[in-house]
Amino acid sequence: MGLRSFLHRITAPRPPMISVSEGVKLVCVVNQRLKMGKGKIAAQVGHASVGAFLEAGVTHPGYVEAWLGQGQKKICLKAEDETILMTLQEQALQHNIPTHLVRDAGHTQIPKGSTTVLALGPFEESELDTLTGHLKLL
Amino acid sequence: MALIVRQDLGLSTGKTAVQCAHAAVQCTLVARKSASRLFERWRAGGARKISLTTKDVESLHRLASAAQQANLIFHLVVDAGHTEVAPGTVTVLGIGPAPRRALDAIVGELSTL
Repeated sequence: MGLRSFLHRITAPRPPMISVSEGVKLVCVVNQRLKMGKGKIAAQVGHASVGAFLEAGVTHPGYVEAWLGQGQKKICLKAEDETILMTLQEQALQHNIPTHLVRDAGHTQIPKGSTTVLALGPFEESELDTLTGHLKLL
Repeated sequence: MALIVRQDLGLSTGKTAVQCAHAAVQCTLVARKSASRLFERWRAGGARKISLTTKDVESLHRLASAAQQANLIFHLVVDAGHTEVAPGTVTVLGIGPAPRRALDAIVGELSTL
């Protein structure tokens, strides 16, 4: 860690910690249009989960802590195409739900910049369900 | 980071993805805490991940002890057993983030998922 980031870490105001009593989960929505293989999907969902919890650790630390404490509940859903992912992301932002969109570097299987997975959360299950309840399990 | 999936369980795509994500998150947590420079380097390089397969739980354990001997970060995912498999089933092994050469020495022979 550099000196500046170290100073920032000790001097920056901490985001308010909220206590989360409800169940917290992470939802990964996979773009089905790309017809990715099983292994590709697994790696992309891995990206989404790691990215989501690292970023939410800064913006929504209370939720991340609750999520880790509750055994990191995750589910994997499927969406027909990229537009659904984009709409979901917009809705999530309006509800203050953390999101992480994975754009592939395009090393294998699919073109560079393809939107592969959208992670929503970690956040309250009930809130996530209202957004993603209509999607099917992968 | 390598995510190694057991083939003999016949997990669905969604379950496989979730188990791999679990391994990835655990390894990331450990790396951030105990190997922060490696973690930063890995993340800056796009947090590379590769998913591989192995045939059964014995080979998964063998790979885990190889990772341990090489002093690499690793995590065996033990499923809570809510869906598809019995509670306590070992499903996926995550190794890394680790220097490419050290990782290849252990998983180089495995085929991709």
